[in-house]
Amino acid sequence: MTTIIRLTRAELRKLVASRTFLIGLTLSAGVSVISVAVDAAVAGKNSTAALGTAASTNQMLKLGSVCCVAMLVLGIIGSGSEYRHKTIIPAVLVAPRRGALVAAKVIGIAVAGVVLSVLTFGLGLATVAAELSAHHIHRLPADTGTLFAGSVIAGTLFGVIGVALGYITRSTIAAAVGAVGWVLFAELAILHTLAPHLAKWLVTGAAATLTDPGVLASRALTPATAVAVLSGYTVLLLAVASRLVLRRDVP
Amino acid sequence: MIAIDHLTKRYGTVTAIGDLSFKVGPGRITGFLGPNGAGKTTTLRILLGLATPTSGTATINGVRYRDLPHPARTVGAALDNDCFHPGRTAIEHLKTLATAAGISRRRPGQVLDMVGLTEAARRRVGGFSLGMRQRLTLAAALLGDPGVLIMDEPLNGLDPDGIRWMRDLLSHLAGEGRTVLVSSHLLAEAAQTVQDVVVINRGRLAAEGPVAELAAATTTTRIRTPDTQPLVSALARQRITPQLLTPGTVEIRGADPDRVARIAAAAGVTVLELTRHAENLEELFFDLTSDHADDRA
Repeated sequence: MTTIIRLTRAELRKLVASRTFLIGLTLSAGVSVISVAVDAAVAGKNSTAALGTAASTNQMLKLGSVCCVAMLVLGIIGSGSEYRHKTIIPAVLVAPRRGALVAAKVIGIAVAGVVLSVLTFGLGLATVAAELSAHHIHRLPADTGTLFAGSVIAGTLFGVIGVALGYITRSTIAAAVGAVGWVLFAELAILHTLAPHLAKWLVTGAAATLTDPGVLASRALTPATAVAVLSGYTVLLLAVASRLVLRRDVP
Repeated sequence: MIAIDHLTKRYGTVTAIGDLSFKVGPGRITGFLGPNGAGKTTTLRILLGLATPTSGTATINGVRYRDLPHPARTVGAALDNDCFHPGRTAIEHLKTLATAAGISRRRPGQVLDMVGLTEAARRRVGGFSLGMRQRLTLAAALLGDPGVLIMDEPLNGLDPDGIRWMRDLLSHLAGEGRTVLVSSHLLAEAAQTVQDVVVINRGRLAAEGPVAELAAATTTTRIRTPDTQPLVSALARQRITPQLLTPGTVEIRGADPDRVARIAAAAGVTVLELTRHAENLEELFFDLTSDHADDRA
């Protein structure tokens, strides 16, 4: 059995044995279901769109952002906690050629990302269908399939971005603060304001194309382009993380 | 066989290890001793591929750790007794490592049994005492049944029974022909455990060799005599340099006391008293690592 397969199996074992992933999965799926139920409950009230309208359904289908946030956090914990709990030491002792270690972590978190995103979006979508069906509406938007796939891809890529941030900072807290700081301040507060035409090319812009029905419908970017943009950022961050993991001494 | 060859590690302008060289052979327990900050842990971390040397090499069986085909089966390392996810159980921790290293599924249970943690196998590591963590760290090091064991302060946190158990286990492992390198600052305990020592101070080698030989080399012989000058001259002719402590007392360092007595007798020197003092490991350590040791060097 090759090193990479062994290490990937160990990563999956960590995920299954860890309460963190199960808690993340439960929270993510729970938030998705509850957010749809709340959106359905308030639809048509206080000047919100009525249930069954495109605006209301779009609001309920914004489930990909939950996948992205959950996977970003899980990715950061997945790599950052290796340093926090010093489990990076036995990990590097087993696999002194650290490239394989990073690759296995990425594969493991990607598998987790697919599972979590499929379950989160799937349960949310089932709740949307149930809410609409209860009101005798039996049609989902045409873009629902694209949105489902986009949310799974975005969630998975955000998980890998989280892994890269954890490896770069070697700290779960620093990685989380960095990620939130980048999204809220660098992208949303500064770049979206100063250069709105660039917004769609940023991480949040590309992710929104894949996860927000309204942005997807606007065709600011095609889904394929958005995947390419988000993948580009992911690969870039992963390259930086890999280089640092390979070159730096293990603390 | 562990070989450290002209190893140097600098952090900016600080030299943690400077041109350090020594070898550790199989079948014996070698103590790696030095005061805090001497560079012991840095040396072990370089040896295990966790840190990169500025220059020099550190090899195991002639190969750098990262180039070993099966590192976990070749070397068992216990560097830090706090390398666990607190939420994982002891058996899960070992199974994860065994999976990553391609080691049999039965082995984690076996090594837990070896270190006496079978009953705690399904307990979360977060609730373990320091001694239990130390045992789990050792269990992880033994997973691959390695021929080389490298342990940083393995006696830390162990109660007297635990220290005795560890000492017996290390002796047993060395007796099987394994190479065992153990760093420790618990000199009295190390003295009962190790056969060879490597002593470093300020990143440089202070001494290496069997404890008995090093102790003999630093044995001092003290002679009380009214014939101080004839004794000094007789010793000088045999290339032995004594130190005059008082007008009637001469001290000779490192020479065999029997030989000193014979030289005195041959020179017709009246010896009122001859005492020998062999240093124990603790005295030897302080002697080799004190500030004056550098001056003597």
